[in-house]
Amino acid sequence: MIEITIDNKTVEANEGETVLQAALRNGIEIPHFCYHPCLSIAGNCRVCLVKVDGRPKLMPACNQTVAPNMVVETEAPEVQSARAAVMQFIMLNHPGDCGICDKAGECRVQEYQFKYGMAEPISIEPKHHKKKFNYLSERIVLDNERCILCSRCVRFTREVSKSAQLGIVERGSHSYVARLDAQPFDDPYSDNVLGICPTGALLSREFMYKSRVWYLEPVRSVCTRCARGCSVNVWRRKKHWYVRSLGEEKNITAYRISPLENPEINGRWICNTGFDLHKFMARPRAMAPMMAGNTVTVDEASAEANRLLAGATNPAIILSAHASNEELQAFKEKLSPRVQVYTREDYCPAEGEVVEDDLLIRADKNPNSYSVHAMFGQKAFSAAAGHDVVIVWGDQVDYTSLGNAKIIHLTSYAPEQETRADVLLPISTTFERSGTFCNFEGKTNRFEQVFDKPKLVQHASDLFGRL
Amino acid sequence: MTETRVFFNFDVTADSHTLAAYRQRGGYQALEKVLKGMQPIDVENEVKASGLRGRGGAGFPTGMKWSFVNKQSPVIYLCCNADEGEPGTFKDRWIFENTSHQLIEGMIIASYALKVRHSFIYIRGEFDLPYRRLMEALKEAKEAGLVGEKILGTEFSCDIIVHQGGGAYVCGEESSLLTSIEGFKGYPKNKPPFPAVKGLYQKPTVINNVETLATIPWILANGGATYAAIGTEKCSGTKLFGVSGHVNRPGLFEKPMGYSYKKLIYEDCGGILGGKELKAVIPGGSSTPVLLPSEIETLTMDAEAVQAAGSMLGSGGVIVIAEGTCMVRLLQVLSRFYAHESCGQCTPCREGSAWMNDIITRISRGKGVKGDLERLECITKGIMGNTVCALGDAASMPVNGFLKKFRHEFEYFIEHGRSMYDGRLEI
Repeated sequence: MIEITIDNKTVEANEGETVLQAALRNGIEIPHFCYHPCLSIAGNCRVCLVKVDGRPKLMPACNQTVAPNMVVETEAPEVQSARAAVMQFIMLNHPGDCGICDKAGECRVQEYQFKYGMAEPISIEPKHHKKKFNYLSERIVLDNERCILCSRCVRFTREVSKSAQLGIVERGSHSYVARLDAQPFDDPYSDNVLGICPTGALLSREFMYKSRVWYLEPVRSVCTRCARGCSVNVWRRKKHWYVRSLGEEKNITAYRISPLENPEINGRWICNTGFDLHKFMARPRAMAPMMAGNTVTVDEASAEANRLLAGATNPAIILSAHASNEELQAFKEKLSPRVQVYTREDYCPAEGEVVEDDLLIRADKNPNSYSVHAMFGQKAFSAAAGHDVVIVWGDQVDYTSLGNAKIIHLTSYAPEQETRADVLLPISTTFERSGTFCNFEGKTNRFEQVFDKPKLVQHASDLFGRL
Repeated sequence: MTETRVFFNFDVTADSHTLAAYRQRGGYQALEKVLKGMQPIDVENEVKASGLRGRGGAGFPTGMKWSFVNKQSPVIYLCCNADEGEPGTFKDRWIFENTSHQLIEGMIIASYALKVRHSFIYIRGEFDLPYRRLMEALKEAKEAGLVGEKILGTEFSCDIIVHQGGGAYVCGEESSLLTSIEGFKGYPKNKPPFPAVKGLYQKPTVINNVETLATIPWILANGGATYAAIGTEKCSGTKLFGVSGHVNRPGLFEKPMGYSYKKLIYEDCGGILGGKELKAVIPGGSSTPVLLPSEIETLTMDAEAVQAAGSMLGSGGVIVIAEGTCMVRLLQVLSRFYAHESCGQCTPCREGSAWMNDIITRISRGKGVKGDLERLECITKGIMGNTVCALGDAASMPVNGFLKKFRHEFEYFIEHGRSMYDGRLEI
């Protein structure tokens, strides 16, 4: 531990840390664009310049290693004027089209311009134009005019995702970010650059013009697309801004997914599959209980399920690896002694999907296999065991593999098959309940309820008490 | 010849650049003396005693630069900065074209002093003849056992690797020169760490200018004290000055430090073209602040004196400007150069240099408005000292200098929409 003084305040800094890191950890704000805690230090935005005692020039706080008894000033007049000058330079050719920019409201350039910039621009030159709305990939557009060339995205593809697909080409004020070999930016982690971009240069094509960000709020959730179980934020409309007349479905739409920092599991990143979690969740749902293809009431369906189970001589259940720990516990207490338990993987890697890599993506495409295996072992269903009633929990089930048994199906999504379950009971998705998953390392991660469940849909944990 | 000469001590002929000719004028004797009879630390002390200062522009004492390097490090690199890009400077080109062997000898001696196994020459990409001459000389030297394994039969080995630049002015800045050699885009690095601690491939590195390294053999042959006796007390030795602009005999001159600017311009260069009055002098390459005739009246060519006059000795590229030149248009040429050469890494220089160029170009087209000059001063204030490397300062200093000394010309141009000096300069 080293003691340094920032703005007349003594703070403790770790050896080898930079002034910026020490300041941020101690709640002292120093503006920064290019510095990112997970990336190497570029020191190119120059907005974090601070006065360090004994140095003839202002030093970038992001590149200044702390030394014992160092005295740093972040609000000295020369620091403020340098900051204002840098903001003036950054805004010089920045289009300032916040009114039509998706980033407005969570844009660092906007924030710092209000906080540290000059009230009036001193430039009267026409702005230099660059290419707007560049196609970068199916997922991302790049607006070179808004780009402030902080190189965060470039460093991300070089240092984190290791695809090195982005670079800065040309020189001087003509520089711009581009995919270096005229190919789409198809890095499996590409969408992370949307979050680290300090301004509206990199934008999601999917989210574009869908909503202003200040209408939305994040809810903590867990990605269910692989056994890593990354923490994510699901962005829903704030209650205050609910749409009342037109398009009420907007109130129960997940607008976008963003990574939620979780140093234990995923750091600050998630993969593109995770960014698509809301689309995965928006598939056609099973909305009402059914018996042999006919819609029935909840009571009728559960009565029929009860009847089938009571009359069964050799009932079985196939567990879902998408069930939360709480649901598995409820099942264990209420139903498991009466049935033979089997497990399965609900989802297998899709064609063309990255199966597994060194960064985050795991080959097991289900969020809670760890708990299922820990509580009930690992035993695949076999039709040869002669079960006469089978409860299938989860989706993506091939009924034909179950033999001639009567089927009670608990599912969130509409089955794709023609053949029908004898009883189909719709259950809630992870967005509609809260609970926990254990990822492949056994680390528990909590998800919160984002939306209310539809009326006829039930929580699986409630169902087991009734059966 | 009464003056001591380090470079201009032979007649340039068709084959004066060859190894045979260089040996004839005493070449590679210093190398033999060093490798066979001196310890590395003795060489360093000799260079320290000579008071030699870097010839690239900053004028940092060479011996001190060498002493900063941790000699215990398993790998140390030496880089020769031959990316001569400063407008007005053309001294290194002459060295490559006429006496490449002098540089090679200097590099091997420096490598010996610094315990370097691999040294690099980063040569400006636009150099064609200089590059060919250097490669010929390297080939000759290798065949003669002067470069490579076991030089002159001793245990010392050193290879010289030549790297051609891609045409970026910024790569003359030492840290971007290193990134360029490493194969990356020529972006300067933030300091600290300094190259002497973490330079090329993260190893301690010494970077010296061509002229600096080519002076080393003379110092070792004649002794550091002899060299220190030339020139002024704080600025020893001789230096190559390239004079360009409105003089009768432009060219390259080797003069001892402390020589008079007036003598250089009026005697050695034969005065101003067409007998015109002197208007201004840019003393050390385009980025140094401009000086008025009254300021160079008694000025001598050494770092301290020029600094006292408010400018810099720089790389020794003297640009002479005759009466009748439009300073607005001249500044426009300079600012266009810096806007074009800014690497684009850090914000103030990337945006500021292009912005200044926009304003100055607008003024020079007769579209200047009131407030433009204050705006320019505000921009230079925002750039200077706030950038990663010195290019931002280099772009701002001429603007500041011109505005300070020729403000009336700019004001006239803005007010009347045309230059005080219309028409071509008659010379």
